[in-house]
Amino acid sequence: MRSYSTRPDRRSPLRRLRNLGIALTAGAALTAASLAAQDDPAPEPAPEPAPEAAPAAPSLLFLRANKVIVSPGKSLDNMGLLVRDGRIVAMGTDLAAPEGVETIEGEVICAAFIDPWSVAGVDASSARTDRVDTASRATDALDPYGQDEVLDDLLESGVLMLRVEIGSAAAVSGVGAVIRADGAVPVLADAAISARLYAPGLDPVSRVGQVDRLASALGGAKKYADDVATYESNLKTWEEEIAKKETELAEDFKKAKKSRDKKVKEAKEEGEELKEKKYKEDKRPRPPKFDAKKASLARAVGGEVPMVIHVEQALELRELLRVTRPFTRMRLVLAGGRSALLFADELAERGIPVIVTPAPSSPGGDVGEMDPGFALAGELSARGVEVLIGSGATSASASRDLPLLAAAAVGHGLDEDAAFHAITAGPARVFDLQSKVGSVRRGLHADLLVLSGDPLSSSTRVLASISGGKVVHQAGN
Amino acid sequence: MKSSLTQPLLALGATLLLASSAAAAPQVDKTAIKAGTVITLAGEAIPDGVIVIEGGRVTAVGAASEVQIPWDATVIDQPGMVAFPGFVEAHASRGIDRPNETLDVAPFLDVKDSIDPVNFYFEEALRQGILTINVQQGNDTVVAGQGMVVKPFGMTVEQMMVRPRSGVKISAAPKRGKTRATQAQALRGAFDDLQRYLEEMVQRQKDGDDFDRREALYQGRELEGEAAKGKPLACSGWTVDGFERVPRGEVDEKREPLLRIIEGKLPVIMWCATPMDVHAALRVAEANGFTATMTLALAPACWKAAAKIKESGCSVILAGLEDDELDPITGESIETFVPKVFHDAGIPFALMSTGDANRSLWYQAARCVANGIPRADALAAVTTTPAAILGLGDRVGKLANGTDGHVVLFSGDPLDITSVVEHVILDGAHVYDRSKDVRVKQLFDGTRPPGTASDTSGEEEWPGDGDDPEDDDETENNG
Repeated sequence: MRSYSTRPDRRSPLRRLRNLGIALTAGAALTAASLAAQDDPAPEPAPEPAPEAAPAAPSLLFLRANKVIVSPGKSLDNMGLLVRDGRIVAMGTDLAAPEGVETIEGEVICAAFIDPWSVAGVDASSARTDRVDTASRATDALDPYGQDEVLDDLLESGVLMLRVEIGSAAAVSGVGAVIRADGAVPVLADAAISARLYAPGLDPVSRVGQVDRLASALGGAKKYADDVATYESNLKTWEEEIAKKETELAEDFKKAKKSRDKKVKEAKEEGEELKEKKYKEDKRPRPPKFDAKKASLARAVGGEVPMVIHVEQALELRELLRVTRPFTRMRLVLAGGRSALLFADELAERGIPVIVTPAPSSPGGDVGEMDPGFALAGELSARGVEVLIGSGATSASASRDLPLLAAAAVGHGLDEDAAFHAITAGPARVFDLQSKVGSVRRGLHADLLVLSGDPLSSSTRVLASISGGKVVHQAGN
Repeated sequence: MKSSLTQPLLALGATLLLASSAAAAPQVDKTAIKAGTVITLAGEAIPDGVIVIEGGRVTAVGAASEVQIPWDATVIDQPGMVAFPGFVEAHASRGIDRPNETLDVAPFLDVKDSIDPVNFYFEEALRQGILTINVQQGNDTVVAGQGMVVKPFGMTVEQMMVRPRSGVKISAAPKRGKTRATQAQALRGAFDDLQRYLEEMVQRQKDGDDFDRREALYQGRELEGEAAKGKPLACSGWTVDGFERVPRGEVDEKREPLLRIIEGKLPVIMWCATPMDVHAALRVAEANGFTATMTLALAPACWKAAAKIKESGCSVILAGLEDDELDPITGESIETFVPKVFHDAGIPFALMSTGDANRSLWYQAARCVANGIPRADALAAVTTTPAAILGLGDRVGKLANGTDGHVVLFSGDPLDITSVVEHVILDGAHVYDRSKDVRVKQLFDGTRPPGTASDTSGEEEWPGDGDDPEDDDETENNG
């Protein structure tokens, strides 16, 4: 357990206010920058970071360690890292700290841990509610104030990023976000859409009914997206036709005017009213009625954002895998998945990752005798399923123990590199942040940890946490 | 003394107002007020000062030796009293039929239709020296109706009116049945709906114009003069191209207030219950271009977002003075005096009366002084700052040439707990005289107003009125 005694005065409200003020000012700028950069489709970082308009005083930080874990399974010895304006700008064995730059040294440097399944930093009532829909957003529920104790703990344990979701009591809970624990600032506002096929105590028919409802929602969203696409293509055709027609009309105008003038004259002579020629054209196609919920879910169906579904029992999982087969572009991610071993081959084949929350088996529980307990992560991984490790979004403070959960999975058969992948590069890849975080490379955001030893060892101490280039925690301070 | 107090008092509200208006009936054109001290809030206090009000406006303020009193002016001479401009209430949800509306988004409603001129609240405001009140709908809303600035005197809403359509109340804190996430979603949805509506309007107009042009080409006609033009959309958050094609009059009147909000023509009062609501409020304001015309109404806990508020440049209205938190380790209560945080951060703040008459504006300003805020700044928080927030900075909250002819005569210093409001002059008319305040009389010396029963014998008894021995033990203590 943590001890409060090492931080005597940090809970004073005024000090908290001051800290927050600084964090928010910096955070606001960062959010703007990172959200703007979000549209950048390049999967790999540019070899050289975009030359930013040189600010008056760039913020510099130098890190050095005996071992830098660049990515899972790949490390370099005796490296220095230079961080400027929130990004890693240089790495090398012969790199020396520039004069006067703050330097932090340790045994190991690695990417910050990312909890792919969390509710830390989210307003508690929004996290628990059932009154959300597919268009609700977790970014609307971020609370850096009410959650400051929890977030402080995360900085100390090295869990600097979280994928958070809201509406844990709802079947479909809207758009989740990836946030930095430091100040609960979003890094990616639309990380995933999440849904739930887990309602303990429900009878089997209703449980299958849940899957059917989800499937029909997905189908509705797909139809909406198709209708929008049809409208757009019809509109394009119509616009081209009309443009052509307009040119023709303009060319024929002189003739038309001449003939009309003649008619006007005739009508006048006859004392009759002029009858204009009836003009006809195809009507502009009408767009489908806007539906925010379907539009949001359509992004998941179309694969723009991943779809995370919390499912534990075999009944729902089998149905889910069946009904989602037609949605070929959807990027399905399972959360929980205690019975996923039964479907490991299909998961591996379809490339569906599973966010596992390592826990002891409970033979009398939802999954019964089949529950593999702590061994789930290791066995799934061994059968070729990509495993992420998350704290399960049960309570805000659960994310703090993420590295220990990964270590527990290693203790029950998960390969050590796979476990490290499961809380760094894995979540970054699944939620489309691999060009920004999750590994240690030049050009990436400096969300890093300086450790006293192996990242997954429970006796390792986090010497420093660097979040977006800012030192947010230092041991002993 | 306690006996049957409440029931006849309710009926007396109107009597008092009638009596006062009868006293002020011959509308005098010119009034001169001589007071021992004149606090102008537009410079130093003036000993032995004179205020001249002509046609409802202040025409001269100064020392008795310097100001000429018109020969035909009615003179109110109170050498023992302190003249004061009167307090300004930047935000109150009282004096109306009911504070909250069930509709989520209803900016087309107006509190004008809900204000009750004989509501006890207005009478009490006069007694507390509050002469300008911005009445807004309650906080349990997404987008509420439009508010109205009134003075607490008059038999009709029109007589009370100072400024109609003073602003729209929006809440960043969840309405009943919503969470923070869904509240923000509903708020965003309201403005997204407006944008889509305007875009569709423009598209329809454009389609119609294009068709007309092609039809004329086809028929060989010269097209007649262009249709009436509107004005382009002036919103810093987003825009709709071609909006100038649409005459403004065609915008649905239910949506028109939101359009005025995003163009900065209709101010917003944004309610925040927690510091995270402040972030939500600033996000929606930024996205829709009304940060500059927004004032934040804040529950005490919001002091934690002071740095963020400072950055936004918004003024604030504080609903409550202290924030209490429990220390997570020791469980001790940590109290923060909220106005001091805003004062120290340099954020313009106004105080507001809570529902409790004992926490009226003078009391709150006095508490500010007691907690280390300079007296001038504490007074500004109940006069000039709220006046500026309401866009009435040159009319109310101070005494100077050209301001509205509102004067409160206090028995002593306005922030002294022993001072009382003796007289109120509103637009130059003497509308309140404590010596004729029937409620005060009954409360302090038991005098019953004329026309009411002089004793309680044989009167109907009300449970809990203290008359029955079995009512409660409080009676015994008092008896």
